[in-house]
Amino acid sequence: MSADPFFLLVAILFSIGLIGVASRKNLFVVYMSIELMLSSVNLLLAILSQVLGDANASVIALLLIAVIAAEAALFLAIITHLYRENRTLDSDRFKNLSKVR
Amino acid sequence: MILTLLPALPFLSILLGAFVLMLLSHKKSISLESFNVTALFFLTLALFFELITFGLHSGDYLYPSIFKNFFIFDEFAAIFDVMFLIGTIFTLLVNSDYLKSRNYFSGEYFALLLFSLFGMLMLSHAHELLTAFIALEIASLSVYALVGYHKSKKVSSEAMMKYMVLGSLAGVFFILGTALIYALVGSTTLESIALYLHNAEEKDITLLVVGGSFLMVTILFKIGAVPFHSWVVDVYHGAPYPITMYMASTFKIAIFAIALRLYLVDFATINSFWLEMLQIVTILTLIGGSFLAISQTLVKRMLAGSSIVHSGYLLIGLSSIGLGSDIAAPAIMFYLIAYFLSAVGSFGILSFIASQSRRQMSYDDFKGFANRRPYMALMMTIFMLSLAGFPSTIGFLGKFYIFSAAIESGQILLAGLGIFTAFVSVYYYFKLIAMMYFYESQTDKQKSFPLNVSTLSIALIALLVIWGGIGTSLLSFIPGADGFIDLAKQAINSL
Repeated sequence: MSADPFFLLVAILFSIGLIGVASRKNLFVVYMSIELMLSSVNLLLAILSQVLGDANASVIALLLIAVIAAEAALFLAIITHLYRENRTLDSDRFKNLSKVR
Repeated sequence: MILTLLPALPFLSILLGAFVLMLLSHKKSISLESFNVTALFFLTLALFFELITFGLHSGDYLYPSIFKNFFIFDEFAAIFDVMFLIGTIFTLLVNSDYLKSRNYFSGEYFALLLFSLFGMLMLSHAHELLTAFIALEIASLSVYALVGYHKSKKVSSEAMMKYMVLGSLAGVFFILGTALIYALVGSTTLESIALYLHNAEEKDITLLVVGGSFLMVTILFKIGAVPFHSWVVDVYHGAPYPITMYMASTFKIAIFAIALRLYLVDFATINSFWLEMLQIVTILTLIGGSFLAISQTLVKRMLAGSSIVHSGYLLIGLSSIGLGSDIAAPAIMFYLIAYFLSAVGSFGILSFIASQSRRQMSYDDFKGFANRRPYMALMMTIFMLSLAGFPSTIGFLGKFYIFSAAIESGQILLAGLGIFTAFVSVYYYFKLIAMMYFYESQTDKQKSFPLNVSTLSIALIALLVIWGGIGTSLLSFIPGADGFIDLAKQAINSL
């Protein structure tokens, strides 16, 4: 079986993530879009491991999961903190920094 | 067996220090000064190990039976290590006053600072793309947390959110680039990439060029080059002063460590693919950064904007490397030191003033500053002159080397534009000097020069700035700037 459909899937997932970061307002959705992009790269590495017949890529994918988890911890912390402080996650409402000249 | 870990002692002691501080930090009875001293102890220990092993392990790999060739030890990495360590030591020393004046600091601050330093040390030694990514993430994640350290202040949390969203987005591109390069080469070690490039024909390397460009996106983002600059001013403003200082100086050096290693050695044969892209980014960075810096009224934001311009000067050096200039890489290293000293000094004075009052410092607040604190105003003037690149300061020599590299490689346009933006920068730096000296103060009371660790280390940095600029010509027996350039050249050759 050819690996091409899987590469297409990776491309689609990555693009969905990128569009999500650019266009969505809710911080939680933005965070999920970034996770989607990272996971699509992980999928790419898993496919490459199968195609090239080399375990290195699988190991990289496993290590990346740890990095993604570390990022998730920080993201969830700042999202809950921002929600507690402002009672909203709409990124348009966070304008304190752009008001100063 | 344990001897193979010997060259890793600097970063092992930093890691140990970070864990010790993290474990101690839940104890409320320990004062901030004790934490500060503990952190400084581990930093000095690491610096000591770094200096005694300097040049001994050139070209060795760390524990090859386990890590294969993921971490390399050479003089290049050692020089960068010394810069990070000295940078962090200065950051802690200069801010010891500021720490006491704010109640939101705690032991975790020092632990996070050491963790991010550990990431940077790993980054300068990384000889494999995934290792570089993980090191970069260790450093960045700690810096994200530090940016939002003032929890109850809305700007601080907001800055952290902005930096995290954009920084993780840039990080994704680094790992995507790694995956693409892996798909072509079948390995992520820098050695095999260089070997592949050496043997491959031009039509085979498309994927590598695309992957390398993605790596460059991340690097350009982290140094704040212009299409990726939108976070710089806001994040520098929102972060507490010590963190702003740390990001502007030490973190920027770390990114250049990996950038130089990648584009000097491994992608050296295909540098011409990126040349035009890099030149356009440089032009945009110089012009856009100047506009940003001119339009600010807060001094902290002005320094943030000007840090983009300084990234632009460094990028001139980076594109000169692709055109085969020998002096370009040492010039970048020298400029990093010059910028680092001036930035730490000027942010240090800001944080000193901030520790005395709670005001956000705009230009107007500096009116008559020279009457109130003549010595502080003098040192601020020295730093501003150095940032603007005035002769007899270290900033001038840095710019001199960078522009010579640009002219040597035939990039007359970039050199000319660089000199032009240096003239523009005189406007926003000298505005501050004019505010300090030529306006009457509202409260005309002269305050004495407080003798403590913060002010003395700022004075030391001011002396270093002057010494770096004129020390070579006046005192011939003391090694000066030329000595460092020779050292840097030697280190570049060791790559």
